[in-house]
Amino acid sequence: MANDKLKIGIYELTGCAGDALLIVDCEEELINIFTAADIEVFLMAKSDNRHGELDVALIEGSVSTEAEREELLDIRRRAGVVVAIGGCACVGGPQAAFLDKKDWEKNLRKVYGNIEFSHSRPLQSKPIDAYIKVDYYLPGCPIGKDQFLSTFARMVNGTPPELFRFPVCVECKWHENDCLLNKDILCLGPLTLAGCGSVCPDHNVPCFGCWGPTEEANQISVFHLLREKGFDTEVIKNRMANYSGTRITEFFEQFRKEKR
Amino acid sequence: MKTISIDQLPRVEGNGGVIATIDGNVVSEVKFLVNEGPRLIERLTVGKTPEEDVSIAPRICAICSVSHKNAALRAMENTLGVKVQPKVTLLRELTHMGEFVESHSLHVYYLALPDYVGFPNAIAMASKFPFEVKIALEMKQFGNAIMHTLSGRYIHGENLVIGGFGLYPTREDLVWIKNRAIQFMPFVFRTVELFCSLDYPAIPEADTVYACCEPGDGQYGLWGDEIIISTGEKIARDDYKSLTNEFLVAHSYCKRSRYKGNPYSVGALARVNILGGRLRGEAGKMYKKYFNTRWKQNPLFHNAAQALEILYCFEKLPELVDAILAIPENPPLVAPENKNGKGTGIVEAPRGLLIHHYEVKDGLVSAVDIITPTAQNAQDIERYCTIAAQKLLDSGQEDKIRDRLDLIVRAFDPCISCSVHMAEVKRAPRHHWKKKLAALQAAGPIFVGVGRKDRSDDRVGLELAEGMKELGIKDVYLESEIEEDHILEGLAGRPLLFIDAINMGDRPGKIVVLPLQQLFWNAVLSHRLLPSLTNRLTCEQIKYAYILGIQPESTAEGRLLSGPVRKSLEIILKEIKSPAVPRIEKRAVS
Repeated sequence: MANDKLKIGIYELTGCAGDALLIVDCEEELINIFTAADIEVFLMAKSDNRHGELDVALIEGSVSTEAEREELLDIRRRAGVVVAIGGCACVGGPQAAFLDKKDWEKNLRKVYGNIEFSHSRPLQSKPIDAYIKVDYYLPGCPIGKDQFLSTFARMVNGTPPELFRFPVCVECKWHENDCLLNKDILCLGPLTLAGCGSVCPDHNVPCFGCWGPTEEANQISVFHLLREKGFDTEVIKNRMANYSGTRITEFFEQFRKEKR
Repeated sequence: MKTISIDQLPRVEGNGGVIATIDGNVVSEVKFLVNEGPRLIERLTVGKTPEEDVSIAPRICAICSVSHKNAALRAMENTLGVKVQPKVTLLRELTHMGEFVESHSLHVYYLALPDYVGFPNAIAMASKFPFEVKIALEMKQFGNAIMHTLSGRYIHGENLVIGGFGLYPTREDLVWIKNRAIQFMPFVFRTVELFCSLDYPAIPEADTVYACCEPGDGQYGLWGDEIIISTGEKIARDDYKSLTNEFLVAHSYCKRSRYKGNPYSVGALARVNILGGRLRGEAGKMYKKYFNTRWKQNPLFHNAAQALEILYCFEKLPELVDAILAIPENPPLVAPENKNGKGTGIVEAPRGLLIHHYEVKDGLVSAVDIITPTAQNAQDIERYCTIAAQKLLDSGQEDKIRDRLDLIVRAFDPCISCSVHMAEVKRAPRHHWKKKLAALQAAGPIFVGVGRKDRSDDRVGLELAEGMKELGIKDVYLESEIEEDHILEGLAGRPLLFIDAINMGDRPGKIVVLPLQQLFWNAVLSHRLLPSLTNRLTCEQIKYAYILGIQPESTAEGRLLSGPVRKSLEIILKEIKSPAVPRIEKRAVS
């Protein structure tokens, strides 16, 4: 009988390995994941990995070394569909918050001195779409179980995944929470992509923005709202930048223009 | 030359590897590689608020995210003068145990066990061990459920905040944790029996130094305010740098640690070796039943120690829940007292001692230092791999080296995103030494000829040095000339190259260039090392010290070099006069 299962590879670049771990953490569904598709590559979970043609490559982590960039280009050549999983692959992650190359180089030297690395040249951390075409983005820091399983199930059944495009505030309202901004707490809910289930506001903790920016957000207007509430410009900008990676660049540019 | 390489070590968390190079009969180099790129987390939170720091810093590692969170909170609270209520500390400990249960059960059953029972992964192992695979998964799930209940998520939950908790768990949630823990006990006993009686191979047994947190009050525990070392010394948390002494190596983005010049180990095995006598209850009984001196020497017993700790956690969980339920009021958040200060927080992550250190100025983070367990273990992992590879090579089991190195690295449960996939064994190409010598020469080395004039081939180091002096090579000394320490002072950063006869059991005249520490780690080889190298070097000097070794034919009394050694001497002199152009190394294929 011909094998018509999808061949899937799960790859990890530089990051916290949280997205791969989250997949391992799908304990009850793990055996189903391994039987519904041929998991060809999953370094965290298995040793018999076959780096051949793939139908789908799920890639976590940011590109942070020359070797990773080469590996990524190679995966793209072998894979039909590429899905960026997690904040680091989608937007670059916290490590991509050094937007200025000079700033990054200065900090690299601060941590590692002037050592010449023998194994692979470091690169300023970038999301994977800085180098390759990405078909779908599954955000999160780390990705959420529900969103991952629904995306996975859709893919193995040949349907494109459907992800949230609205901000955390929508989920927060579903959960009938009191708005933290109304209590003058610096919450990034309005700017942040939903999918986490508004977990932080549900716990009286403000949103830190870890799902990354939502394109629907009116960043300028939220920025002014937070300024009116008395928060410091630098503090607001820092907080917006923490998990937005390279995606915040556009906003900062727009912001600069408006200021002028 | 031959290289055993595990380019991408599977079944570890993150991306790293080990490359062992064999030159003749000697393991000339072992490198524990961290392929993860640099993330500069320590620089990312500078200029941010303390709340942002405790959110971002745990993003270093998903597997130890709760440990990082607790270390960050403890450090930040010490910095800001925040004293939390006992209930908060108990709830944090409960969350921490959730991570231990999750991480240890994942490691022993899913990452380590397949090697010992001959399966490529845990899913395949399910065909022969369906019960273990299923219940271990439930145990792991339970650990995750504890973290999810208390921190809000499986990974990177944000409910643990500076000064307390965002939302306290309900009584029902806590009672569920207690009851579920009790239900697991029969399987927990089975786990300890299984992993404490596995047949762990004797290679790589060797002594090492262990370090962990001192929980205080004569208790076993997962955090403290002091570090305790297996030699008996204690170090206050703020003096952690006297333990770690971090340094960099060129083949890894993971910083390394050394205590008093020697590699040391942290993790479950370190805790059990240092604190095991303090275990009470069933864990205490099991410790008495299974613990023996092999645990102190064999890193593979990390697996056994983790199993023992699973039992410790399962016994402790119901006690913790009872203690929490005895305090009905949920304390409000404690606000920071200071806007300036510095502080350190130390905890035991599942894979060992984790240190966070912060400085805060005007309410913003001004300095961050984070030292992860794998970074501390990296140097000892290389040392154990060297010892194992050399012993296997000596006993004619070269074919086993690759798998054994895999086993060793995996036993340390390296959390590679923190730092660091796994083993490759290479044979060095012919005349490998030429390339290495040329590279060292380019760095402006100091040569030291070592040996005894009246012991035939043991003269070679001295004769070579004399020959080099005649050629007009700079900075060449004889052993007798550096007895005055001042010659070596102020030379840090420049390589120090000793020239000596070394008995490697190879053909006479064989030439190798090795890092000096390779000799120190190699018990077999160092016994064969002719008694001439002294302990005059400081840690800093050893880091840049190498040895140009020549296999003697004879070291009997006499004043003449043997034919093969004489020939090697001439070849070396020629090479030093006109060094080979270093060629680009071919990429290793695994």
